Amino acid sequence: MAKGGNQIEKLAEAPVEFVKDGTAFLQKCKKPGNKDFLKIVRAVGIGFVAVGVIGYAIKLVHIPIRYLIV
Amino acid sequence: MAGFRLIELAKPFVPLLPEVELPYEKIGFDEKVVYTIIAAIVYVFGQFPLVGLAKSVVVEDTSNAVLDPIYFLRGVFAAEPKTLMEFGIFPVVSSALIMQVLAGLKMVKVNFKVRQDRELFQSCTKLFALLQSFVLANVFIFSGYYGSGLSVIQIILLNLQLVLATLFVTLLIEVVDKGYGFASGAMAIITVNISTNLVADVFGVNQVPVDSEGHKEAQGAIINLLQSMRSSHKSFLGAIFGAFNRDYLPNLTTALLVIVLAGLVCYFNNFRLELPIRSTRTRGVNNVYPIRLLYVGGLSVLFSYVVLFYIHVAAFTLVQLVARNDPSSLIYKIIGGYAPSNNLLYVPQFPLSLLTPPKSLLDCISRQPLTPITFTAFLVVTGVWFASLWQHISGSSARDISAQFKEQGITLTGHREQGIAKEFEKIVPLASTTGAAVLALLVSGGELLGLKGKGASIILGVSCGFSLLELITAEYQQSGGQSALTQVLGVSGA
Amino acid sequence: MSTPTPPGGQRTLQKRRQAQTAKDKQQKQTPASTRQAGFGGSSNSVLKLYTDEANGLRVDPLVVLFLAVGFIFSVVALHVVAKVTGKLF
Repeated sequence: MAKGGNQIEKLAEAPVEFVKDGTAFLQKCKKPGNKDFLKIVRAVGIGFVAVGVIGYAIKLVHIPIRYLIV
Repeated sequence: MAGFRLIELAKPFVPLLPEVELPYEKIGFDEKVVYTIIAAIVYVFGQFPLVGLAKSVVVEDTSNAVLDPIYFLRGVFAAEPKTLMEFGIFPVVSSALIMQVLAGLKMVKVNFKVRQDRELFQSCTKLFALLQSFVLANVFIFSGYYGSGLSVIQIILLNLQLVLATLFVTLLIEVVDKGYGFASGAMAIITVNISTNLVADVFGVNQVPVDSEGHKEAQGAIINLLQSMRSSHKSFLGAIFGAFNRDYLPNLTTALLVIVLAGLVCYFNNFRLELPIRSTRTRGVNNVYPIRLLYVGGLSVLFSYVVLFYIHVAAFTLVQLVARNDPSSLIYKIIGGYAPSNNLLYVPQFPLSLLTPPKSLLDCISRQPLTPITFTAFLVVTGVWFASLWQHISGSSARDISAQFKEQGITLTGHREQGIAKEFEKIVPLASTTGAAVLALLVSGGELLGLKGKGASIILGVSCGFSLLELITAEYQQSGGQSALTQVLGVSGA
Repeated sequence: MSTPTPPGGQRTLQKRRQAQTAKDKQQKQTPASTRQAGFGGSSNSVLKLYTDEANGLRVDPLVVLFLAVGFIFSVVALHVVAKVTGKLF
């Protein structure tokens, strides 16, 4: 009985422990500086939009085809 | 059952399954770019309407019609309703994830050291993908999603189209995976598709009819804003209000939220723990080995959504196929049913709605107050469980890294060689689970604000994009930076 | 009767090391994924599906791309047929 209770206690403790360890880890992490961050966002943004525009162009091709056949 | 192994089941089918040849020689950087982009573009082009739908569906006679029950899962799997990519990459990705997880848990017995086993495992994954798309197709066909009263020929045609589409998706992914393209075909397709959707939602110029009077609005939120400001049947303020609030098409609020989420993922993606390392062979060479917070990248989110997809398809099968969405039936009462919305979506009702992101924040508070808790808990638990398993089985666990260190003659500063593995064992699982939890919280935060799957997909898209970008830049540097493409483009990215 | 060896010392260390290497070896013998066995496959943040060449119907990647496009156009053609005949089969 005591053992069972212990286990439940452990189970309840696990998330708490996890949150504690997690936040400690987050604090230890090296965070991107303002300048780095802007650079990354710009690079990702340009890449995303460029790829998206190509994809969207392909999708636009669909519109006249759909119009013709449906 | 002692000698039985699941992968043996694939054996008779192996000679029938198409296999992309491995490249004979090393593929150059430029060729890889071209292959990857073309594979993804073929996929996007494949989002073409299916042949053989019942007339009532095509003309949108929506009284009593079966609508889209998985609308909030589509973005993540690059699936477009009523097109060849009805299920997108879901059958392929889910079968691969499930099989790899099962193998990692040793529930499917595979000896990855034996070439034959690996091949069988792979063929098995492929078969499983095709089987899933076949089952899914028939669930959707017989639920009446493609209209009622389909003829036998129509059913056969729909089956053929959907299963063949999955086969081609498999092959497209395989082309990229086998080394003709960068890293992972599935992730390239996800990223390209999600960015396409983002561009379409923000800048899309195509006109979509929005009411029965024949008014049309642009799909893109910004284009819509500009258009309705100039349009005659709306006041200036009404136009702005409409642009931020329309709920049938992407609006500016969701667009802004999506962009904020993308920024947050960028931010978290650069969280890393830098461990000082030094070479054991040459003195004085000090460096850092980064361990990223998002150690498993977007894969944990992908896994959560695979599970979510299974749950919702199972529910859809029971409610629609068995109980015909009849509120008086027992199944409806236990699982919950679907309520049509905007003639487009099938919104799950109470018990099922616990695992469904709400349509808007208002909806969330007024109609499904428990959803924030259950949905978030679901995402966090599945994500964290997957992350802790995946970091262990994917060949990048603490043990693998320390073996790699030993090989390359690197050691952590301030640790003996034996201590490296222990040190990593402390950090790697923690990093991956914490990262997965952070991502899951981001996803649920976005989804609870009513992004209808766009939040999850942008988060997945950006994190997949990062994983790919990392590999691409590494490869670019390996190829010595000699690429005709980058010279043409003037080195814009990265 | 030989004198019992004192606890600790060289031998225990040796034993420990042996146990450790044995354990390592065992763990290494049953890799949990293609990559862990050292043959490519999914890594921590990249999902790779197909990396081995099984003995199936071998196809060239270019053929795959063309076939995929061909498949899509065959669906387009079906649409046209359906429209021309005016009836969906």
